[in-house]
This record gives sequence, structure tokens and C-alpha cells, in this order.
Amino acid sequence: MSVADFAFYVFAVTTLAGGLFTVVSRNPVHSVLWLILAFISAAGLFILLGAEFVAMLLVIVYVGAVAVLFLFVVMMLDVDFAELKGEMVQYMPLGLLIGVIILLELGMAIGVWQFADLAPELRQAVAPDPQEVQNTAALGRLIYDDYILLFQLAGLVLLVAMIGAIVLTLRHRPYIKRQDVLAQMYRDPAKALELKDVKPGQGL
Amino acid sequence: MTSADFTLVLPEVILAVFAMGALLFGVYGGKDKTAPILTWTTAGLMVALGAWIGLSGEGSGSAFGGMIVNDGFARFAKVTVLLSAAAVILMSESYMERHGLLRFEYPLIIALATVGMMVMVSAADLMTLYMGLELQSLSLYVVASLRRDSVKSTEAGLKYFVLGALSSGLLLYGASLVYGFAGTTLFAGIIEVAGEGEISLGLLFGLVFLITGLAFKVSAVPFHMWTPDVYEGSPTPVTAFFAAAPKMAAMGLLARVLFDAFGGVSAEWSQVLALLSLVSMFLGAIAAIGQRNIKRLMAYSSIAHMGFALMGLAAGTVAGVQAMLIYMVIYVTMNVGTFAFILSMERDGQPVTDIDSLRQFSKTEPLKALAVLVLMFSLAGVPPLVSFFGKFYVLTAAVDAGLAWLAIAGVIASVIGAFYYLRIVYFMYFGDEGEGVQSAMSPVAWVCLMASAGIMVLGVINLFGVGGAAMAAASALVN
Amino acid sequence: MVGLENYLAVAAGLFVIGVFGLFLNRKNVIILLMSIELMLLAVNINMVAFSSYLGDLVGQIFTMFILTVAAAEAAIGLAILVCFFRNRGTIDVEDVNVMKG
Repeated sequence: MSVADFAFYVFAVTTLAGGLFTVVSRNPVHSVLWLILAFISAAGLFILLGAEFVAMLLVIVYVGAVAVLFLFVVMMLDVDFAELKGEMVQYMPLGLLIGVIILLELGMAIGVWQFADLAPELRQAVAPDPQEVQNTAALGRLIYDDYILLFQLAGLVLLVAMIGAIVLTLRHRPYIKRQDVLAQMYRDPAKALELKDVKPGQGL
Repeated sequence: MTSADFTLVLPEVILAVFAMGALLFGVYGGKDKTAPILTWTTAGLMVALGAWIGLSGEGSGSAFGGMIVNDGFARFAKVTVLLSAAAVILMSESYMERHGLLRFEYPLIIALATVGMMVMVSAADLMTLYMGLELQSLSLYVVASLRRDSVKSTEAGLKYFVLGALSSGLLLYGASLVYGFAGTTLFAGIIEVAGEGEISLGLLFGLVFLITGLAFKVSAVPFHMWTPDVYEGSPTPVTAFFAAAPKMAAMGLLARVLFDAFGGVSAEWSQVLALLSLVSMFLGAIAAIGQRNIKRLMAYSSIAHMGFALMGLAAGTVAGVQAMLIYMVIYVTMNVGTFAFILSMERDGQPVTDIDSLRQFSKTEPLKALAVLVLMFSLAGVPPLVSFFGKFYVLTAAVDAGLAWLAIAGVIASVIGAFYYLRIVYFMYFGDEGEGVQSAMSPVAWVCLMASAGIMVLGVINLFGVGGAAMAAASALVN
Repeated sequence: MVGLENYLAVAAGLFVIGVFGLFLNRKNVIILLMSIELMLLAVNINMVAFSSYLGDLVGQIFTMFILTVAAAEAAIGLAILVCFFRNRGTIDVEDVNVMKG
């Protein structure tokens, strides 16, 4: 077994274990941490497959932003999670049954994967030799050129997400004091301070 | 990237740029005070784009390496989507204003959702399909929970979101298997691979997951469970929107995937669609009987109607697609009219959605009651109204394609379904004295209601030429 | 060299875990969202594996778009969840009997 094979099995097992504990763990903070483990191991799998850029994205965007967003929400919402977990056992048999059935069916399909005969000819973006063009550069050439339309649509999707999050959660609370930077900067000592000449022994 | 590529998607680009400009205008120009003007300009732009697309010549073209196409089918679906979206946001403006929902983001999110729907119906690549679908879905999740201080509305948004995200996951898994087998995400490539002899197990699984994901989006049974809750919980204007444009877009997308990418293996999917169609028609018809809330009732009604539209697709022929398109246009028109009325139902300034409140409605508002009567008969498919012909086209197409059993089941289901539509009519004309309901209607909503009812009656002459346009659209799709 | 099927098996396993998680945590919406993220991760593994073994970059491009959209989806989902929590004081979807199924 070569090093690459060994690395594959390590990453594969940790990905699956991370996934499994994400859904069964009793504490949602632990769930998020297991989720992060699954993402990082999946990034390892991507590196083994030669997709460095996507692996970096997974670590930076997913672990750095999305998983942390989950953590924020878990901690922000003061939820009594012990109560929610109560009925988990009840759904276990059904969930396991359905899971095993789907897995067996998928096993049939992917047991021996065959590409279509035409697949090599139909490829739209043949990967260049990594010695000449690196993965990131090759992806960059495609995404800003052939796939510019999708790139722009992705921008619109993110815009909708931004508007949506603001529409749904922004609340203007007039009674809260906010920092006003300009007012702070334009504060003039002449107006803000008043010098009093205090006579000795008299006080104000 | 040549300018020719962008010319092909110019309507989408204009609408998206407008939405961004309007967002800036709204933020810097007085926030929610600008909402009425933004609603009107958005609707005006949608109508203008719809007219432009509708009148812009024939022929078909593709752009961006074949990822997006503009053919007769796409134009037909886009015109329907744009006009119905414009009608819905206009007629709901006064409702939203009265109930404190009129926020300036609403028309913009609807505009962006419409861009997504336009991309969906002209997608010719799995990636374009996904991006269009998500642009639409994410916008709809937000508007479903627009009334953010209401438990019902946010719960509707949450349920819609969880099930929508699940369906996207299934769809993507299917897409990944299809890509893995075919080596391409272009529909033009997939159809070459799918056509070569025996369909491989991997591709079949991909197809099944894709159909499952899309069945969620058109709310076909057994993937319908979100529909009644979301229809009931969302603010009524949003429900009205859900019932119209997104249904057309999702149906168009399903037709595009099935015919453009898997046209060569129609035997594999037509049985699945026939089954979905059968259970949707029956569940929609039977489950609606027990409903007392008119929004839930319309949800089950939409499930049953989607069943009928799927029957047209299951036929797998040009006539079937044509029938599906005609059916969808009629369905969307009826829904716009019906929701124009539902939006106006209120008592002491509070919206009412109970069908019992319609008792004796014909005494107070005879003209509106008459219009609603026409629409209810039309939803039930009573001859000689237009929707009877819509059903008739679908049934003929199914019989011609050898699905006579499905057609017979469809007739039975629509007879069962007629019961609850007719019960509303019965309440309005012969019901006992009840608390009653007022109907506060803005002029726009009044026009929508009357126009919709009028179309149902007058359209029998020649369907306003929709039949011919649908024929052209269908033959552009099915080769 | 590990075969393509091994990667597909990992992806299938992860996908099934995601579906399993949906059934198991019907009451806890945050974990429901995480299960959906797991399903999307499974799809991404599929895409990248196919992309690598086909020698085609489209799968990786698709993955990038899936990641983008999934991030947007998580943002909106959590925003709706926060709204729901503010109204309801719990994130339990089944507890809510406002709407009968």
C-alpha cells in the first residue's frame, strides 16, 4: 500500500466518521466540530484527486465561514437541546432502514463505474497537464471565460442571500445608542470642555 | 466572450441590472417609502420585457458554449412567467400596503427570482439549470418568511427552505452521476450518450435523482408535503406568486431536462411521470375536500393541476408538450384571478381565509361573485370554459400516446375535484347566513379578477392564439 | 492508485449519512441544515472524483458553484431560523402545531 492509498483510507474514514457523528451527537456544538472534521478530511481527499483549489476553498470558505456561521447561530440561540434530542431513538430504526436501502441501491450503480463510450470526446474542458498549467490557473481561465455567465449568476445568488439575510433579521432599535464616528471626530475641545477657575478654599 | 453571447441573454441582464439599480435607489432614496414606485416600475419592466420577448421573431440560438438557449419554448415560458409575475405584484401592492408588508426589497427579490426562472427555462446545461433554480429558490425562501414577526410565516419559510434544500441536494446528486457518466454537463452531450443503446445503471440513477429533485419543485405527490403548509403560512401575496410563475418555470425546466437531455430514453421516464401524475391528481382532489382554509385548498388544487400538466409531459410527444404549455397558461391565468379575489377577502380590516366566510357573498357583491363563480367552474374544468379545453388537450395527448388508463383516471380525478370548487360556489349563492366577508379590492386587483374571468369565457373562441404559440414552442423542444 | 469506485463509495456513504441525519433529527433544525451540508459535500466529492478520473475540469467548476450556492443557502437558512426562533423561542419544528399537516 502506497502512501497515497494509506492517506486515502485515513481521509475516507475520518470523513465518514465526521459525518456520522455530526448527525448523532447530542450536543450541537460537537456536531459543528464534527462537521468541520468532515470538511477538512474531504479537503484531503480533494488534494489526493489533484483538485487543490477546491480543497482550499473547502477549508477557507466552508470551515472558515459556513461552519463558523453555524457555531455562531448555535451559540446565539439559547436552545434547550437536551429536550430536542429526546425522541431521536424513536426515529432510529426507520432512518437506518432507509439509509441501508439507499446505500445498497447506490452500491449497485457505482459498484463498477463505467464512463460512456463517448465521454472522452464530450469533455468540455480537458484538464491540462498540471506540470504546465496549475490547477488554480486552469480553473481561473475557465471560470472567467467560458463560464462567465454562471459566475455572474453566482454573484446574483449571493446578492439575494445578502438582501434576504438583511430583510429577515435587521431590526432598527431606536433606543440603542450607536457610535457616531463623525460626531466623535468633529468634537471640538472648545465646545466640549469648559474651564472653570476654582478659587482656593471655595469649591464650585 | 462575444457581444452576441450577451445579446442572447439581454432580457435577463436588463432585469438583473434593473434590480441592482433599484436596490441602490431604494436604500438611498427613502427605504420603504419607495416601495410603491419600485413595484410599479418592476411590473412595468416585466411587462415590457414580456412583450419584447413575445414579439421578437422566431428561430433559436444558443450562447456561452451552448449553456443557454433561446428557442420558441424558452420564449413561451418566459412570456408567461414575466406577465404573471407582473400581474401578481401589481395586484398585491395595496394588500401589502394595508398590512404593513410593503417593503422595498419585495419587488426586487421578485425581480431576481424572475431572472432565475428565465434562466431555468432556457437552461441547456446542468450547471445553468442549477444556478437558475437556486436563484429562484433562494428568493422564494426569503419572501415566504417575509412577515418576519409571524410564527406562521417564518415556519412556512423554514419548512420550504429545509425541503427545498433537500430537493436541491437530491437533484445535485443526480447531476453528479449524469456528469460522471456522460463526461459533460451539456444537454446536447448527454442526449448523445443517453441515446446509445441500453441505458446504463449510473445514468438511470442520475435521471431518477434529477426527476425526484424537480418533482419537489413542481410539488408532485409524493414530494408535495411542503405545499399546503407553505401556501397557508406565507403572506397571501407571496402565495399568489408561488401559485403562478414558479410553477410554470419548474414545469418548463422539467420539460427541458427530459426532452433536451433525456429525449432518447423517454420510455424510461414516461412511466415515472405517469405515476407521479396519477397520484398527484388523486391526492390533490381528495385531500382538498376536507380543507376549510382557502389557501390550503388552493395548494391541493395546485397539486392536482400539476398532476394534469405532468400527464402532458408523460405522453412524451409534441402534442403532449403543447397540451402541457396550454394547460399551464390557463392554470396561471385562473390562479391570478382567484388570488386577486382571495387577497381582497377581509373582515374588519383583517384578512380572512376561511371558506365559510363566503356564505351569501353573492348578495353583497353580485359581480365579483359571478367572476369567482366563473373561475371556480374553470378550475373544476367545467365545459364550455377554457380550462375544459386545456384538460381536453392533455387527455387527447395522453390517449394518443397510449396512456388511456391515465386519461381515464384523470377524468375521474377531476370529477372528484369538482366537488370542492362547486362547494365554494354553493356557499356563495345558497349558503346560510354567516358572518360574511368584505371584499376590499384595489382597482388593479379588480381588473385582474375580471380579466381572468373574462378570459375563461371569451378564450373558448380561439384561446387568444395561445394554441398556435404553444405548438411552435413544443415543436422547438421536441425533435 | 485508489480506484474511482472508492471515492464514489465514500460519497455515497456520506450522502446516506446526510439523509439518515434528516430522519434522525426531525426536531432540530440546525442539525437538519448540517445534514444538508453533508449531502452537498457528498455531491462535491462525486464531482471532483469524476472530474479527476475523466481528466476534465468541469466537475471542479461545478463544485465551486455548488460551494458558493451552499454558502448562500446556509446564510438564508440560518436567517430564517433566527427569525423563527425570535417568534417562537424554540427551533423545534414538530412542536409547532400552528399548521396542521
